[in-house]
Amino acid sequence: MLRRVAFVLVVLACAGGVVAYQVTRPSRAPASPRVFVPSPQFFEDFSPSFRTSIADAYYLGMVQYYGEHAVGDGRLDSLPQMVDLVTRLSPNFTRAYLFGAFALVDAGRPDAGYEVLKRGFARNPRDWHFPAYLGYFAYRFGTGQGKDLAAARWYQEAAAIPGAPSYLLRLAAALSAKGGEEKKAILMWGQVYLGGDKYVRQKAVTELDSLLPKEKGARMKAVAPLYSTMPKADFEALIAELFKDYAP
Amino acid sequence: MNQVVAIAVNTFKETIRDRVLAVIVVFALLMIVGGIWLGSISLGQQGRMMQDFGLVAVTAFGLIVAVFVAAGLVHKEVEKRTVFVLFSKPVSRAAFITGKFIGLCGTMGLVLAGMGGFLFLLVWLVAGDLSGMILVAVLMIYVQLLAIIAVTIFFSTLGSAILASVLGICVFVAGQLSHNVLSLTRLGHNAVTGGLSWIVYVIIPNFSAVDVKAGVVGESTLAWSQIGLWTAYLLAYVVVVLALATLVFRRKEF
Repeated sequence: MLRRVAFVLVVLACAGGVVAYQVTRPSRAPASPRVFVPSPQFFEDFSPSFRTSIADAYYLGMVQYYGEHAVGDGRLDSLPQMVDLVTRLSPNFTRAYLFGAFALVDAGRPDAGYEVLKRGFARNPRDWHFPAYLGYFAYRFGTGQGKDLAAARWYQEAAAIPGAPSYLLRLAAALSAKGGEEKKAILMWGQVYLGGDKYVRQKAVTELDSLLPKEKGARMKAVAPLYSTMPKADFEALIAELFKDYAP
Repeated sequence: MNQVVAIAVNTFKETIRDRVLAVIVVFALLMIVGGIWLGSISLGQQGRMMQDFGLVAVTAFGLIVAVFVAAGLVHKEVEKRTVFVLFSKPVSRAAFITGKFIGLCGTMGLVLAGMGGFLFLLVWLVAGDLSGMILVAVLMIYVQLLAIIAVTIFFSTLGSAILASVLGICVFVAGQLSHNVLSLTRLGHNAVTGGLSWIVYVIIPNFSAVDVKAGVVGESTLAWSQIGLWTAYLLAYVVVVLALATLVFRRKEF
């Protein structure tokens, strides 16, 4: 009996020791911002049937790494390599490109994020998200006079992809006008007018009204190129809106 | 024919009752359920994570079952000396090997159907993704594992069960890297090493020709003709390996 009690006590003491050891350990060792990321080429060569699985595993690691350092020390030294690895192993993994691009902004590398999106668009040309985000990157992080036009070109490209939301063409038109390409902006607003509902059409008319010259003859001349881009009835309705304050 | 059926049914009953098999399957199902947790930390990629890691779990545990059960099939009969009773009757070595293979194929089919069906339902219920490609992928994994079962049975006729298991796993890994061996045949300037690489490339099963998991997660487009050709190749490979196993087994004296 005494032996049994002693045995139980020893077991309980051991169990208590195990729990105590674990509880008293530091909850989390400080993680290093620099981690080893293998070359994508290595996995491309040696794991053909498990490439997407490895990419997914590294994607989860990348998300954890970002979460750990973005709110901690702010150092994301190995993030570019991680994004590169995941997107090269799984070239159609849209979310990895998009997450990676925005995470690279937090890493202080918007240029790298822009390149990641460009690579993603090259591999997924039917996905409008890529040119739409490229437009945002060009506008937000671009420098110099040409950034508005660069963004407008991306938005225009995104708007041309089936399934893209209609606001992209409006963004492209607005940025073209802002960048000084009024003629192009007029054509784009014409397309917005053509494909829009009542509200969107009103918005297009307002924008065209502000872009077009005030003098009637010059206004006529500026709006003329729209004739070949839309059905006659729509063109006449637009002209009626744009010239309603002018004497016949 | 009756002999093959009788051995196959007996092998199926014997392997399906194995408790180790049940433990492995339960563990695999737990791993598949673990995909839900992985999906929850993936920023909205739950379906992809569950499918991808679920199929890896199906492959890994299917491989464990295939290799360890197949390695013991012939050996157990020899060690328990039941093979003497069997061969005292008019049972051919070919019927014995074929029956054992078919029996284990049945068990493996049941195990993979369970795991694949479970994964399919889980992805459907949790991620709302009703993808029949999961079932196609599981079918492809099954065909791969049939080749591994055949290879392991072949090795078990040559040596010990442990050696057969280890070699079976090695062949699976080598099969995944099949295209690298092909690259070696093109890289070398030496005709002898080039020729040897070519022989190795032909001997090991080509598991890297079709990446079913990548097809499931939308990474590549799988053509049905490609899948059909690959399946036919692997089934032909199984026939050749089983014939070799029978040849080796025939030379054994009991």
